[in-house]
Amino acid sequence: MQVAKKPNTLPDGHPDFSVQPSVVLKQPTLHDITEVISRPIETKATLKWYIAFAFSVALLMVELVGWGISFYYGTGMWGNNVPVAWAFPIVNFVFWIGIGHAGTLISAILFLFRQKWRNGIARFAEAMTIFAVMCAGLFPLFHTGRPFLPLYLMPYPNKHAVWVNFLSPLVWDVFAVSTYFTVSLFFWYTGLIPDFATLRDRTLGKDMVSKIRKTIYSVLSLGWRFSNRHWRHYERVYLILAGLSTPLVLSVHTIVSFDFAVSGLPGWHTTIFPPYFVAGAIFSGFAMVVTMLVFIRYIFDMQHLIPIDTLEKMNKIILLTGTLVGYAYGMEFFIAWYSGNLIEQFTFINRAFGPYAFAYWVMISCNVISPQMFWFRKLRRSVPIMFVISIFVNIGMWFERYVITVTSLARDFLPSSWGWYNPTLVDFMLLLGSFGMFFTLTLLFVKFMPVVSIAEVKSVMDGAQVHHHHEEDPVDTEATIIGGQPA
Amino acid sequence: MDLQQKNKPLYWQSLEELNSNPEVLEAKNHEFKKGVTEDFDIREMSGISRRRFLAAMGASAAFTLTACKNYMDKGEIIPYNVQPDDVIVGRPNFYASTVTSRGQAVSALIKTREGRPIKIMGNPDHPIDQGKMRPHVQSLIMSLYDPERVAAPLKGSAGVTWEVVDEAVGSALRSLSQNNKKAAIVTSRLMSPSAKKILDKLSQKYTGLGVFNYSLTQLSPRLSAWKKSYGVAQLPEINWTKADVVLALESDFLGAEGTEAMSLGFSKRRDVMNDKGFSRLYVAEGNLSLTGMNADYRLRLRPDAQYELVLALANALQEQGLALSAALVPQAENHTLSRFASSHGLAESSLKHLVNDLYKNRGKALLYAGDRLPESVHVLVNTLNADLGADALYQRQNAPFYQAQPSAPAELAQLSKDMLAGQYDLVIHWNVNPAYDLAALAYADALAKVPVSVTLDTHLNETGEKSTFVLPIHHDLESWGDFEAYAGVHNLQQPVIAPLHDSRQAEGILLTWLADDSAQYSEKLYHNYLKNNWQDTVYRKTNSLSDFTTFWQGALHDGFVSLKGTKINYGSLNVNALSQVKRPKLEKDYLLSLHYGYATLDGEFANSGWLQEIPHPVSKVVWDNYAAMSVTTAKELGVKTESMVTVTLPGGSGTVTLPVLEQPGMADKVIAVELGYGRSKAGEIGTGVGVDVNALIDLNSDSPFIAKVDVVKAAGSHHLVTTQLHHAFDVPREQDLHTARGITHEANYPEYEKNPESAKMHGHKTFNITSTHVYEGIKWGMAIDMNKCTGCNACVMACNVENNVPIVGPDQVDRGREMHWIRLDRYYSGSAEEPTVTQQMMLCQHCDNAPCEVVCPVNATNHSPDGLNQMAYNRCVGTRYCSNNCPYKVRRFNFFDYRDRFKEAFYHKDMNQLVHNPEVTVRSRGVMEKCTFCIQRIMWARQEAIREKRDLKGSDVVTACQEICPSEAIVFGDSNDPQSSVSQYRKHVTAYHVLEEFNARPAITYVTKLRNTYEKV
Repeated sequence: MQVAKKPNTLPDGHPDFSVQPSVVLKQPTLHDITEVISRPIETKATLKWYIAFAFSVALLMVELVGWGISFYYGTGMWGNNVPVAWAFPIVNFVFWIGIGHAGTLISAILFLFRQKWRNGIARFAEAMTIFAVMCAGLFPLFHTGRPFLPLYLMPYPNKHAVWVNFLSPLVWDVFAVSTYFTVSLFFWYTGLIPDFATLRDRTLGKDMVSKIRKTIYSVLSLGWRFSNRHWRHYERVYLILAGLSTPLVLSVHTIVSFDFAVSGLPGWHTTIFPPYFVAGAIFSGFAMVVTMLVFIRYIFDMQHLIPIDTLEKMNKIILLTGTLVGYAYGMEFFIAWYSGNLIEQFTFINRAFGPYAFAYWVMISCNVISPQMFWFRKLRRSVPIMFVISIFVNIGMWFERYVITVTSLARDFLPSSWGWYNPTLVDFMLLLGSFGMFFTLTLLFVKFMPVVSIAEVKSVMDGAQVHHHHEEDPVDTEATIIGGQPA
Repeated sequence: MDLQQKNKPLYWQSLEELNSNPEVLEAKNHEFKKGVTEDFDIREMSGISRRRFLAAMGASAAFTLTACKNYMDKGEIIPYNVQPDDVIVGRPNFYASTVTSRGQAVSALIKTREGRPIKIMGNPDHPIDQGKMRPHVQSLIMSLYDPERVAAPLKGSAGVTWEVVDEAVGSALRSLSQNNKKAAIVTSRLMSPSAKKILDKLSQKYTGLGVFNYSLTQLSPRLSAWKKSYGVAQLPEINWTKADVVLALESDFLGAEGTEAMSLGFSKRRDVMNDKGFSRLYVAEGNLSLTGMNADYRLRLRPDAQYELVLALANALQEQGLALSAALVPQAENHTLSRFASSHGLAESSLKHLVNDLYKNRGKALLYAGDRLPESVHVLVNTLNADLGADALYQRQNAPFYQAQPSAPAELAQLSKDMLAGQYDLVIHWNVNPAYDLAALAYADALAKVPVSVTLDTHLNETGEKSTFVLPIHHDLESWGDFEAYAGVHNLQQPVIAPLHDSRQAEGILLTWLADDSAQYSEKLYHNYLKNNWQDTVYRKTNSLSDFTTFWQGALHDGFVSLKGTKINYGSLNVNALSQVKRPKLEKDYLLSLHYGYATLDGEFANSGWLQEIPHPVSKVVWDNYAAMSVTTAKELGVKTESMVTVTLPGGSGTVTLPVLEQPGMADKVIAVELGYGRSKAGEIGTGVGVDVNALIDLNSDSPFIAKVDVVKAAGSHHLVTTQLHHAFDVPREQDLHTARGITHEANYPEYEKNPESAKMHGHKTFNITSTHVYEGIKWGMAIDMNKCTGCNACVMACNVENNVPIVGPDQVDRGREMHWIRLDRYYSGSAEEPTVTQQMMLCQHCDNAPCEVVCPVNATNHSPDGLNQMAYNRCVGTRYCSNNCPYKVRRFNFFDYRDRFKEAFYHKDMNQLVHNPEVTVRSRGVMEKCTFCIQRIMWARQEAIREKRDLKGSDVVTACQEICPSEAIVFGDSNDPQSSVSQYRKHVTAYHVLEEFNARPAITYVTKLRNTYEKV
């Protein structure tokens, strides 16, 4: 398909950055796009997938065994103690919740800002949100001393006439996280409906397996017929959900940060926490998306649907949020000094130079120093570099939560009750196992669902938008009906 | 009624039975017909009897079923069919009795519920103990229910009948004179007049029978020194309340070497509410002891330099104008203070203050030598004390009383030697453990040479293990007894529960051996003997107008009889005593200083998990002993905390390898080690905890506990578990945080006397944006007087017993999961060589603005209208957020079901469960807990007030910690009542709250620690 487009090079040969690069390269046909996205779903899984899946499930089993041990013997199987009553499970919780943030940001906020490049990655990022929140949700639920009584955290009418304590940030957490999960799930599913319909129509239903598939896709696509009316409703719902999700991006991690900020503990009791946590969450979420996409676009031959320009844009956001986080680290120190509060000052100096200094410097080098590479365009566009840095960022962000949670608790007000935290084997089982759960769900997702939104990508192909007739538009008007039936 | 009449059966099967034909009655007692069991002995057939087999079968079936049980299953509840007269379900009964350790008898109130003792409390009416109690005797409640108590007589590890033992011992006793052999009864410090009488009669009846009494904690030469100085082996009690200046020489009189009375008397002079003024305490010691932590001036001094110190003081006092005894003058010559100070690295200024204080306060000043110092120092101290007029502080009434002279180390050595030589046919141990204590005498080897040896004890110990027979005796709470540990104060002991096992009263056993063969043991035997003895002695002395039964009932009710006018008489000081004693040699080498364990004393209490888990008052180490040494000494030896050293007595007679702890404040070249650890046979809890150092007790020397030793670094390391991190003296930003952060506050006492405002804590003014909640009616509050608190841990133990606080074991403590509701925080400031120590009792502060309450998502912790921070265990899901948000970190979390977790479900053993206080919930796994201000006691007082139709008063409630505190440092009551003592403390100028600027508004007020020094803080 021929697309007339303003050239993105200046006459003198230099790149013209005022021209938005195409978000779908190689000018595929609509059918090509459907084909390439549907292929992994419709073909047999490769050996590589099976190996990866076996590995992930094995890790998931590690988590299940870890939870089993924790349930059977008690929370004492972890390294938690007094004063460090919160440790790995809470660190993991905040870490995974943070990971989830990229999805909502990409799918909702960037959607509202009409960022075309987000369409290629939104589906995957949203799925990641769902899975990350699932991984995260297990931790606060099961990390209580009596995990068989989670109902007590819900305000339900009961004969004891005991209500939950609405003053407690943990209660806010329950609502925030469950709302976030619900809205994200609906948003994700809404986006999936047209794609399910496409898959339904592509499934022939000739043999038994195929019939089952078709039935499932039929149910999931809710009778979608690609009619104009459907599209109109769909667009409306999608926009509303995007609107609903947008505040959630900010609210969820704000409330998670309240778990710390509302308490009186030096190192936790900080007003900077809400924006700092949100920035950190986006930071880690984008890093995780980059880590995963680098693989996916390569494995499924989707380099043209998720072009390097998109990745570069994400890296720019990583650079931005990483620097914001670095600013927050600095500001914490400044405020600790400026407050004149000796205990606060001690806490921060202790973070950097105390017994947990290693964690602090891992955090600084991974979160603040490593993203600075992205100032350079070459590095920003280099797949191996961005892969390594995104891994670093994830490590750094995990350590950030570790630094906040553990080092603040280990040495608080009374030196007499200062303690030391040593994670146990079960702690590591749960940490690694949660990655197992995440990877397992991701692998199932890439195998059984369209990893890139078929409909949305088609809508941002070059020339897919309605044009003014400044010049002759070779595009068939039919193509403006985005995601039209496969040719 | 004759015996036959009494035995007449109510129901009978034959005329022979009705007529009590002895043959028929005898046959009735046998399960099998005569002859059936003749050709086999059931006991020999198998270790498992039919009954045991059935029991095991039943138990395994029961265990299978327990797997299905609901976690909320509370087990069976069996109601009374007929309610006993004096038991009302739900109401405790209190019995006055006495509980003992091997060196002490403490008057007690035993709290029982439904016939089951649950707590040992002090007897407040007792003139000496005054209701105070150290942790050790409190822990005896758990030893009563110890599942490992000896339940029936043992021969080796097999069961044996009492008759067989009686026969063996009886024949051994009777044949003594024929065989020209000897026998010995070895017992602990004799405190019981009635038991003394029985022992005397035994040794009269059987020639060759000797009685030895000793306990390692009573091995002090104080008594013999006193005899040398004053001619009588009777010690006066010190009137601590009148002592203005005290110099404690290597004496831990507030800690392991002291009594309740000493702490109480001492703390009376540390009271801001009392206008008597503060006393000044100087401590000269090598190790940093509990007493040393409480000192105003502390002098780091090798224990063998104490003699020189006293001479130097005498010399300086003479210069001041004090007339010294003639014998002292030549000795003190040339011992100038400045030379002594410079040769031992002491601050001369402190010594000068000391001399001035001693001189100025003649008649009110006292030197007090430690139990472990050699006789010579005691004699010297007696002499200088006499010159200082310290006689005025000697209390002649109700002084410590010894029923018999404690056996000298030489006598014990002779006993061991003779046993080894085969001179002994019979040795009876009663409530002693010489095989462990006297390891230096190789007592265990000697014991093996004795044909018949008997150990009377509640538990199987090292001595029992080596003895022919082990006879279970009644626990203190199952026994009758009397004790006269203080002259004229006769304590009574009465059983508060029927014997739980097939045990017998120890004195009763001795009585059967004393009487002819026909004597049958019965529970009445000693009871009657005791009563008769009292009728003859105590009752007669009281000149009571009432009849004996009334008198006896009254004495049982009170738990003691105090006779006035029993004064000890000692003559005037024998000045020449000083020249009779050998002057100790001052060594330059490493010096070993053995101490009684704060947890275990001499090892008697090694099997108490509660005690093992109470942190060491100074080092905060639990479940272990170690070689404490100064930082300099450690550097010299090339060791660090947790590396190993080998300590050897010069002759090579004893060698022990144990872990090192770098202890701030210790004198250089001194190695301090605690006794009472490393028991090889103590029970599930105490066996193998720490290192046995008894081999290092040099019983042939005149100071068995202080000896010159060789110390070398050894391979390996051993982890010491502590509840507080080791203090880092070399990190400047971590120094003095306790004062900088407003956790503790200290001021200077002389300044305070001049201007009380100087002791006020200065902080920023805090205010609330909203108006604060107004409490109407009672608002509970507590005040803790940091000047009185010595850090003895009695409160921790009382709280453990009262509130069913579980033992978690060293591995869990190491993970930071100790469960104590009260802890004693220890802070060092200054240098590692000369630290100043501050202690602080820390428990839930019951804050008005409780940070824990707002963050609990399920409302499990909340505030009561009377100002308590409450915990609803049933509602708690265990998010642990409250603990994170608690600035005082006093909340404790059940990371496991510790009752199931600790030592193979130690707590779940049937017998052990009886120890729990039924008024306090036993917390399950996953639940947060903390100090409740003894809510059960508050509710009880409220209920009583309602029953009596009156208003509840703050003074109606006494918390468990307050009740037991030997220095009365804890005050509890209604802080809304301006008259209450809590309010007095809250209003006092020295009052402050911990972390006041955090504005949690705690309900606990602390009193500024006032240091009675010349230098300002």
